[in-house]
Amino acid sequence: MKLTTMWKDALGSLIKPAATQRYPFVRREAPEHLRGQLHWDPSACTGCGLCSKDCPADALEVIVLDKKAKRFVMHYHVDRCTFCAQCVASCRQGCLDMESDEWELAALDPRTFDIYYGNEADIASILDGSTEEEAEPAAAG
Amino acid sequence: MQSQQGNKFTIPIGPQHPALKEPEHFEFNVDGELVTGASVRLGYVHRGIEKGTENRSFVQSMYLLERVCGICSHVHATAFCLGVERLAEIEAPPRAQAIRVLVAELERIHSHMLWLGVGAHEAGFDTLFMYSWRDRETVLNLLEDITGNRINYSTNVLGGVKCDIDREQAAAIRQGLDFLEERTTHYLDVVTSDMMFLRRTRGVGVMTYDESQRLGAVGPTARASGVARDLRVDAAYAAYDKYPVNLVTETAGDLEARFVVRIKELFESFRVIRAVLDDLPEGDLTTRMPRRVKEGDTISRVEAPRGELFYYIKSNGTDTAERVKVRTPTLPNMASVLTLAVGHQLADMPMILVGIDPCFSCNDRMVSVKGTLDSQCWTWEQLRQYGIEYYR
Repeated sequence: MKLTTMWKDALGSLIKPAATQRYPFVRREAPEHLRGQLHWDPSACTGCGLCSKDCPADALEVIVLDKKAKRFVMHYHVDRCTFCAQCVASCRQGCLDMESDEWELAALDPRTFDIYYGNEADIASILDGSTEEEAEPAAAG
Repeated sequence: MQSQQGNKFTIPIGPQHPALKEPEHFEFNVDGELVTGASVRLGYVHRGIEKGTENRSFVQSMYLLERVCGICSHVHATAFCLGVERLAEIEAPPRAQAIRVLVAELERIHSHMLWLGVGAHEAGFDTLFMYSWRDRETVLNLLEDITGNRINYSTNVLGGVKCDIDREQAAAIRQGLDFLEERTTHYLDVVTSDMMFLRRTRGVGVMTYDESQRLGAVGPTARASGVARDLRVDAAYAAYDKYPVNLVTETAGDLEARFVVRIKELFESFRVIRAVLDDLPEGDLTTRMPRRVKEGDTISRVEAPRGELFYYIKSNGTDTAERVKVRTPTLPNMASVLTLAVGHQLADMPMILVGIDPCFSCNDRMVSVKGTLDSQCWTWEQLRQYGIEYYR
């Protein structure tokens, strides 16, 4: 039996650099496979909606404007996302990918968490529609 | 607080942070400093996860069940996947099964190192707590590198895994394991030779072999009392038949033996991970999984870091489970805490509690027995209103 078994660790640490890092002044490089923000490539999307159906956090909505003309908008709720990458696994066309270097997603403005991917004109038309929908009950109340 | 029984005192501990940072309520009857009786009230963190699976598809339920435990999330998802795959009569490819074992053993390392730190902290040995948690970062970084997440790795999909292991990752894992093995050797020396620490662990909370059998203890808690029981050995699942585990047991049954068993299990995990990396089968990561799972029921048992984890899954032929029942290892181990507490000093209670490596929020389930209580059926809205009124 010994009286002190960890004094070497403690004394050795006095001359070693700190194990912690001075974030945000020093940033550790993100691992290659880190699951960060989701990105959607519309070129191959068929609008099947499997990504949305399988999402355990209801973080994805595929809004189909015209299936024949392949006009889809992806509404991504980044605040609900648990970064499980099930959508990436479910997509048969390989349209979804999680970027390893986009992980600083905290924000004060909740609107930042609503991300729309797709054609700008289509997104604008959806946003106009949703604004009107939200305005109606408020006006009635 | 004076109890009804003469001059004995009842000391309530919890539900706010009874030694651990989780809610649970204990009542210890004491005679002076000696504990003469103990009781526990569970259920403060019941989250309705089993009920939640009834409204989710099998795919979505896996991620919900992964969140039963924040520490051993992968093993929950593995238990569920293995059960659902058996019902669907498919089998994940050998490479996927090997990666499941690899991640499960990395998870065991991080769970045991976390527990080592918590145990040391409760004993007042914060130096060991700080250094073991610093070293635990190594394995968390490895898990992040492989899976993309530090906790709740979401490695599994039904029918396989999402993450592959490339040559660079394998080299990084080997390098990390070399460092961890050196540190673990040091920690084994610390917990078996530090005089002050041994006074908190040696001969404290002794559970004999017979007692552990009677109380139904599982996992390292039982193995520290000489019970040779480990599902990785007894009923090898995933790829454990290809990468066999050597059973680690101790016979003393005290807290020191539980520290020794868990630390020696770390060496076994290092060995198994190296064996997986040396002989990782080539091939696909997933196999085709039907969305609708055949009607039937099954049980799935796996060895979580804390002991045997049990899943019962019933399918009615749709893409949603009709019933999922989970039993986590803390529940059978809780009885040993209440029994072992008697005859010990009150100051030993946190150590005896921590000795089973409890995970309270994993533990809580609700069973409604018809006819025994005045049961009521409330809608979600009624329950919400009740909550608002209660706290008004």
